[in-house]
Amino acid sequence: MFIYFIRRLLYLVPMLLGISFLIYLGLELTPGDVISYLLPPEAIADLKPEELMAMREALGLNDPFLLRYLRWLGGILQGDFGYSLASGVPISKLVLDRIPATLELSVAALVFSTIFGVILGSISALKRGSLLDNSLTVFGMIGVSIPEFIFGLVALVIFALNLEWLPVGKRLMPGYDSYWDHMPHLVMPAMVLGLIMTAGVMRYTRSSMLDSLNKEFIRTARSKGVPEWRVNFVHGLRVALIPVVVLIGFRLPMLIGGTVIIEQVFQWPGVGDLFVNAVRGQNYPLVMMISFLSVTAVLFASFLIDLLTALLDPRVKLE
Amino acid sequence: MIHRILLSLAITLTLSTQIWATPKNSNPLSDPRVRQAIAYAIDMDTIQETLLEGKAIVADSHIPNGPFKKPGLPKYSYDPNKARQLLKEANWNASTELDMVFYYGDQLTVDLMTAVQAYLADVGVKMNFRKLEGDVGAQLWTAPKDPQNGPSVVTWDLAYGAHGPLALQEYFSRYKTGDMSISPADSKLDGMIDVLTSTADITDQKKIFFEIEDHMQNQLFTLPLYYQQAFIYEGNKLNRNGGIYGNPQYNYDWDITKWTIEPDASGKMVLNTNTGPVEFFEHPWFNPGLFITNKVLFDRLITCDGGLAPTRPKMAKYFNLSKDAKTLTFELKSGLQWHDGTPITADEIKWNIELALKVPNIMPIFKTTFSSLEGAEAFVNGSASSVSGITTSGNKITLSFAQVDPNVLLTFTQWAPLPRKHLGNVDPAKFQQHPFWQNPVGSGPYKVKEVKMNDYLIMVPNENYHEGAARIDEIVAYPSKDNDANLVKNALAGKLDYGFTKNVADVKALEEMNHMRVIPADIPYTRMIWFNKYAKN
Repeated sequence: MFIYFIRRLLYLVPMLLGISFLIYLGLELTPGDVISYLLPPEAIADLKPEELMAMREALGLNDPFLLRYLRWLGGILQGDFGYSLASGVPISKLVLDRIPATLELSVAALVFSTIFGVILGSISALKRGSLLDNSLTVFGMIGVSIPEFIFGLVALVIFALNLEWLPVGKRLMPGYDSYWDHMPHLVMPAMVLGLIMTAGVMRYTRSSMLDSLNKEFIRTARSKGVPEWRVNFVHGLRVALIPVVVLIGFRLPMLIGGTVIIEQVFQWPGVGDLFVNAVRGQNYPLVMMISFLSVTAVLFASFLIDLLTALLDPRVKLE
Repeated sequence: MIHRILLSLAITLTLSTQIWATPKNSNPLSDPRVRQAIAYAIDMDTIQETLLEGKAIVADSHIPNGPFKKPGLPKYSYDPNKARQLLKEANWNASTELDMVFYYGDQLTVDLMTAVQAYLADVGVKMNFRKLEGDVGAQLWTAPKDPQNGPSVVTWDLAYGAHGPLALQEYFSRYKTGDMSISPADSKLDGMIDVLTSTADITDQKKIFFEIEDHMQNQLFTLPLYYQQAFIYEGNKLNRNGGIYGNPQYNYDWDITKWTIEPDASGKMVLNTNTGPVEFFEHPWFNPGLFITNKVLFDRLITCDGGLAPTRPKMAKYFNLSKDAKTLTFELKSGLQWHDGTPITADEIKWNIELALKVPNIMPIFKTTFSSLEGAEAFVNGSASSVSGITTSGNKITLSFAQVDPNVLLTFTQWAPLPRKHLGNVDPAKFQQHPFWQNPVGSGPYKVKEVKMNDYLIMVPNENYHEGAARIDEIVAYPSKDNDANLVKNALAGKLDYGFTKNVADVKALEEMNHMRVIPADIPYTRMIWFNKYAKN
């Protein structure tokens, strides 16, 4: 197990290097640079070429691509993530300032969707063909097919603007002293994101559960006189959870930057919003940092899925 | 005899008309008849009523309506038959496909392009459109090496965009030969621009404005489409107490210190607005009045009315511009302070101007003013350690100009001095990236109390402000760009008490809210189509 863990960690190094190079290259091939993002075209037209050159020089944009990449990589190896080209603020500060907001939102949505998705999916499978099953299926289809920004806007109109139960958006407001003050702001984005994710988990759990309930070992358990709840939830659900765990595992990277649309609808100042602006502005140190976090999250999720699969399925061994 | 004179006049007129009504090169757009046909083909009145929902004014010149616009300029109202006739006269090749570019990312622009495409197709002109990406400035404005014969460096035929200058002269000064990508040398226009940018006399300015407008509109140098308006919105709880309305994109004498707003439950007067900082405070030397922070955190030496005509001294006790417009003298009010209590000195103003000369991204009009100072060039190229045209004595600052800048007073209504104590070590090329712009210290009627970047900014009255402390206890600015995507929902939720927008859809939504009022403001902001008239390879 330990050797497996170390080996997976070592795999990360060339993968991260390759991915970072590809992202950097992608940014290089995109037209424009941070100057053309910071200044409107009319302003750029009014600048003399030497002034533009001086601005680019000051930001290190005139050097060859490979030199810039290696300089960035060297900085990373020394723990220096660089500075935002737009504001001059250290990248680590920018990202760390936003991470709490993104984690709050995505963890809340992930927990909510996992618990409710598994419960509702299991019930749906156990009550197959019933009115409840059909209703949940319809709910699942709606959740999967309607874009999240529509859900978000409908929720805003109902709960913030008409009923005035919840704030219209944003996260921190003047006068908030304790951590819990901003929780009402979290409710709506987390619920909207959670509901959409619940639909997927529920559909997955239902079909996986139906599949597992038809397996030989379930019949064996029943024939041995094991109580029905134990057959369903200990034997059936445990096996049915394997594909569900994979689904949830691959949603973990969403913790970093995967909630862009919800963040924009609810003015939630998370990493996703930061990432979108960084890509638009060709703010490459910031794009690289967030991409790095995201890639690390994907690789970590993959590792975690392996671990959980082994725990759930005794036939799987980590070697 | 009279007949002969009339005949000779008629021949002269015909010949002169023929001279300009022919193509100058192989590009059909160098033929004024083709440009005029394009203008006649587009029904701007219908576009204004439908797409723009009546929230714009159809344009017939670069210059917006007002005293500097010549009455009776050609209008090129919708006339598809005339368009077809002009195209026929110009031997328009129906297989030619024009390439229209633009740089806006909004749906309205795409809708407008689609409408223009359909109108042009109706008269037999094919046109495709695309959005420019990347280094838009270079793709739009790179001028050919040979300004007379080209060929064109840029690839497009038509470009849709806007020009919203602070000073009206800027509408035309950019078209001088050698500076632009779009038109072969025009010595007549060059001469008029030279006169325009070197006279401070209003009567002379008006005369030359009329001549340029006439020259450009007759041959349709560019196609002005519509004048955009800005729409100021306010909650009904806000009271300006007599403060005037004006161009909200810039600074004017709006008396914000007198504004009041209905107090909240705790008795505090809090004004909620947008354009708070997202990642940094945008410095006020580029967009001096677009963001609330630049309006209230920084003060100016003189102020102006809502139409941006200079009116009275502000930080200055007095100012005096010599008759030849080559010497400007200020005396600072005594006791002026930055928000941190440090005194504001005349030497600091000198340091500020010298810094501004080296900062690349500042407003063009500021750059023109400061570059006109005696010794400015020597200072910028490093052969002098200071600008010889700036002298100080006590609180007095004297600026001596090598050449007349007609907008010198306008510059000082918008340009804000900054504290040397905090910016003394700044690299001009990385001016915006200095840590100062995370929590700036200014001299305006409000100062920063608390900033949570990308969450909110609280500004409170500067108790030492030289015109008296402001009455509203707090201005809370939530983060947004100037085009706030969350404007309507925040206004609906009662979280916006002041702001302005140019977004037509937002204006329509705001007008339907009972607790909001919308005040249109005429601003110099003209949407137009530029014709690339250079020959192409």
